Amino acid sequence: MSGVTVDHIVSVIIFLAAILLFVTLFGQTIQTAVVYQENQATAIKCSDLLDSMLLNPGSPNYWGQSDVAPASFGVQDPEFTEYQLSAFSLMRLSDSTGNLIEYYKTPNLCYTSVTAGAGADLLTPNAESLNYSEALALLGINGTYGFQLSLTPDVSVAVTQTRGFSPLSLSISATGAGFPFSNAAVNYCLLLVTLGQTQAQYPSYTLLDGATSTNQQGVASVSFPNVTNPNQVYAFVVYARLDGIMGVGYHTSVSESSQYVVPIVQDMGSQTVMLAHNYDLNNSNALTDSLKYNATFVISTQDYTLNELSLSSSSQTYGTIWSGNENPVEKVTLPTCTTGILIITYQESTTQGGVILMPWGINSLAFPITFGGNPAMQEWVATDLRQVMIGNVAYQVKLSLWSTQNGVQVTI
Amino acid sequence: MVIIILSGAFIATSYFAVLPWPRQVSPLDLGRLSLTTLENLNSGNDLSEAAFDTGNATAWQDLQVALSDSLPPNVIYNLTVFNVNSGGGGSSLYTAQASVSNAANLGISSEASSYLVSSSNVTFNPTPQKIGETASGGGGITLYILNCSDSNGWWITGYSSQSLAQDLYNLLSPYFTQTVVIQSTAQFGQILSGKPLQGESLQNAVIINTCGEAVPIPSAYSGSTYSEDSYAGYCYFLGQKVNQYNWTWTSIVGYPFYYVSNINMFPNEQNTWGIYGMECVSSGGLNSFLEGLDNQPFSYNSNWITAQLSNPVYLTSEAVNFCNYYGIYPSPYQTSTRALPTSIISQYSLDVTTNMFGTVSGYNPGAVYRHTVTVSGKTNFQGGFYALGLTRTPDIRLTALGLLCDYQPRIYSSDYNSYDTSRLVVLQLGLVGGT
Repeated sequence: MSGVTVDHIVSVIIFLAAILLFVTLFGQTIQTAVVYQENQATAIKCSDLLDSMLLNPGSPNYWGQSDVAPASFGVQDPEFTEYQLSAFSLMRLSDSTGNLIEYYKTPNLCYTSVTAGAGADLLTPNAESLNYSEALALLGINGTYGFQLSLTPDVSVAVTQTRGFSPLSLSISATGAGFPFSNAAVNYCLLLVTLGQTQAQYPSYTLLDGATSTNQQGVASVSFPNVTNPNQVYAFVVYARLDGIMGVGYHTSVSESSQYVVPIVQDMGSQTVMLAHNYDLNNSNALTDSLKYNATFVISTQDYTLNELSLSSSSQTYGTIWSGNENPVEKVTLPTCTTGILIITYQESTTQGGVILMPWGINSLAFPITFGGNPAMQEWVATDLRQVMIGNVAYQVKLSLWSTQNGVQVTI
Repeated sequence: MVIIILSGAFIATSYFAVLPWPRQVSPLDLGRLSLTTLENLNSGNDLSEAAFDTGNATAWQDLQVALSDSLPPNVIYNLTVFNVNSGGGGSSLYTAQASVSNAANLGISSEASSYLVSSSNVTFNPTPQKIGETASGGGGITLYILNCSDSNGWWITGYSSQSLAQDLYNLLSPYFTQTVVIQSTAQFGQILSGKPLQGESLQNAVIINTCGEAVPIPSAYSGSTYSEDSYAGYCYFLGQKVNQYNWTWTSIVGYPFYYVSNINMFPNEQNTWGIYGMECVSSGGLNSFLEGLDNQPFSYNSNWITAQLSNPVYLTSEAVNFCNYYGIYPSPYQTSTRALPTSIISQYSLDVTTNMFGTVSGYNPGAVYRHTVTVSGKTNFQGGFYALGLTRTPDIRLTALGLLCDYQPRIYSSDYNSYDTSRLVVLQLGLVGGT
């Protein structure tokens, strides 16, 4: 083989190797650009989808206040325009974690909680709730995208009881997204529960209203000199507001006991709420026992005091809840589709009792919401934010969106 | 040589083909976030107040706290209020009045939204559309309010016909080209005989009977044709007139046409409850009216057709929606003890054009019925009947709301963007680390 031939072969090999190397290098650049293009498409879709959810009440308009399945998904308040959301539509969303609660007295039916807070419950019928896969189908993104919608109050208000009880003193701390909610006007309502002392008496409560303001650290303290009983059962609801931004907080203090009442929404359309004994939940039906209760429904008025609305005439507003399948279910029917708080005072004995709050409309106690899939472990998640109002409580809405398709064809 | 050429090509391509930053690939829509933040801040009108009170340090400090608490910690902002000038004489249209910010600058990438706020002393003047009026200004319809001083009412307890008529006039007259308050049964007789009182158009008019379950009867209609079957004949005649003139007859409460009233015709007759000047037609009055409306032959039928519903009835979602549009807010739930059956729809060729309340077990607590006629294969409405089968005492707002729901006149807002009454608020947002 001549030297020229060898040189030719070597140069061809080097040429091919160089071509291969640079095709790979160019390919990586192009691939990165394609991935970027895909991700940008996801981000644009995220913004569009978020507006689509928030600026459309769904169909029918008042699906949140009924038990019908929506034909299209949207959570805007049908009585308003812009970013004002329906407190009821959000209540009809199903818990994404799949944690369902069974109630012994309604077999074959489960209940879900898309939101919860300590000392307050909001359980809705799973059969009437809109689940994640249904929402994907209604939004037309089934098989192409996954999402998580979360609503968080702009201002979180925490209430803690300061040490020592005589007299009752509470500390209110209001914080925003990363800044103390200073100089905010604070209105509060204390519900002091009185336990019945005879067989014929049922628990009841009295209301104490007041107003104060937060300091530079977003903290306010209130004291009730006349409340000195260390075993006092009470609930405390507080509203902190400043320049159109309002947060709601609450705190309850109950006797130590294994028994308590759990309100469960039986039907959204008829606004029926069952009052369950905790022994009847999740197959924990070990004991037969009873609790005396008294149920009232209150709404927040324009001056941020709580005003009682009478319950429907068909409701038994007080009575005894017995655990055990053979005993009837106690129910109350809420008066209107107005948002408010269902307050249930209960007692096990003349010295042991409690109070539980159930928001009717998530804004009543500023409950947060998380609905949809889990964005963790997704390759790329686009997010977008909006500020919204639910009732007069300010929320921040975040939508996380990711593509569930592999190898999407992208036009560059 | 090949390597040099390819390397050069790669370097050149890499230099020009700059990939965007991740933030540009998946941007936060700061413009929308800015707009929704401004809307929330002004939900209680606080932003407007601060914009017109730029010298108030406390108000601006509160605004800044609210703004900081609304936005995520990694978002930086600049909020500026501009005065809206007349723009005359070459001066600038906007002048900056005040500004707050939580950063020295917003980096190289930021977005802004603007929001126009108005001074609290601006007056908004809505202009209602006249019902039935065409673009050329013709075709409007007349509203008649029966306020006959010589007839008494029933189931309007707590009110007088006069006070109800006044409230109705205030609520509804802006929506009609002409509103005529009929002061006596004689005047009512005049329009029944086809003679306008003030040159108004009789055709297509709306007539509201403020006497509740009683209906005024002019003395001229005391003859045997009308007094037949305890004046059921007169009710039949009214139904015929409603059909003839395509009127919309409005019954504000209770059982329609249950009594006829004229204090001169019936000085010694009372309704068994001590209200004189009345003759009881009973349940046959409504049946006769509907027969007349449908041009059926008169056949006295004394059957009681309404129902007493045990549970409260609720406004339909459409009615609630119109409450907001027209600014009329009656209680959303009512008690209905005289709900009309849905069977009258087929029996008397009616069509329900507006349901104020949901239908309950085959009964309509409150609805607008239109009588349908088919001529040459074309179906039209000829005569209407708005019946509120609620219990006493009447809420006149429901009467007004039902008619507005049915006709749906528009409300045009006046222009409020006037000089020195508006300020422009611009909220510019950026992200920390954007420099």
